[in-house]
Amino acid sequence: MSWRAQGMRTWLLQRLSAIYMLLYGIGFAIYVINYDVVDFASWQALFVPPVANIATLIFFFSILYHAWVGIRDILIDYVKWSPLRFVLWTLVTALLIALGVWVTMILYSVVTV
Amino acid sequence: MLFKVQRYNPETDKKPYMQEYHLDDVTSGMMLRDALLKIKESDETLSFRHSCGEGVCGSDALNINGKNGLGCLTPLSELKEPIEVRPVPGMPIIRDLVVDMTQFFHHYRAVKPYLTVHDPMPEVELAQTPEERDKLDGLYECILCGCCTTSCPSFWWNPDKFRGPAALLQAYRFLADSRDQATDERLQDLDGPYRMFRCHTIMNCVNVCPKELNPTKAIHHIKQMMIKEMV
Repeated sequence: MSWRAQGMRTWLLQRLSAIYMLLYGIGFAIYVINYDVVDFASWQALFVPPVANIATLIFFFSILYHAWVGIRDILIDYVKWSPLRFVLWTLVTALLIALGVWVTMILYSVVTV
Repeated sequence: MLFKVQRYNPETDKKPYMQEYHLDDVTSGMMLRDALLKIKESDETLSFRHSCGEGVCGSDALNINGKNGLGCLTPLSELKEPIEVRPVPGMPIIRDLVVDMTQFFHHYRAVKPYLTVHDPMPEVELAQTPEERDKLDGLYECILCGCCTTSCPSFWWNPDKFRGPAALLQAYRFLADSRDQATDERLQDLDGPYRMFRCHTIMNCVNVCPKELNPTKAIHHIKQMMIKEMV
């Protein structure tokens, strides 16, 4: 059994991403409480420190990966007709990649302001 | 006592239908299998499998009031009327309550349910400590009745690819065996999105097992072994 073991790797990464999202959620809640977020500028300022920025980026990629595996599972279980499954699967993957690019651009724009 | 039994004869019926039977001479301690045998006395056309009558052979797996179980281990006193008896779900019906178990046994065979030893065989038996032997408890008792696999939605969805709880329990029975030397091959074989990872821990299997075994736990142990092998 190696890291190339697809079934295991996907399953494990989905669980690890869930743990990360949980930890990030708690950490972010504590982080926000300690700041006085009154307007957009102060909200934006939360994501300027590199640690917060990168942690948030990892958080969003965790969501996207988690969702990707989850939707794949739903498609495998419920969509029997393989051409339809393939089309839906491609659309979902494209959508998630687009969201990933978008969130990266947003977080990158915060640090370069 | 009122029974509703699913009937289907592929030669004459377009689709399965429910037939009512009344049974008056129900004695205490009577099992569902006994009742079906009595019904068969009055209607010989009713087909169902049964053999040992004491939960060992695993022949009479049925869907009883919506839940899979063995006819011979289900007391009538525990069942609500009308007692609805159907074949186990998700399998092709051969006739009435008899289903085609080919797919089930295909998956069973696929996990190679026998010891594999690469070393030269010892002159005496392959020894095991009592502790090593204890690890097989809760695994070897499976009677292959199919109650678990046919109650598993993941199996209904992908019956040709997902091994199903019974076969996976047997896979772990040999992975957990200290004498077996095919751990790596067995784990490799179960990888991929279908064979084992279609399990979503629904736990219908645990809920229905007449021998009170726990396939979900076995699947969990297989995953743990895979993680250990990976790192």
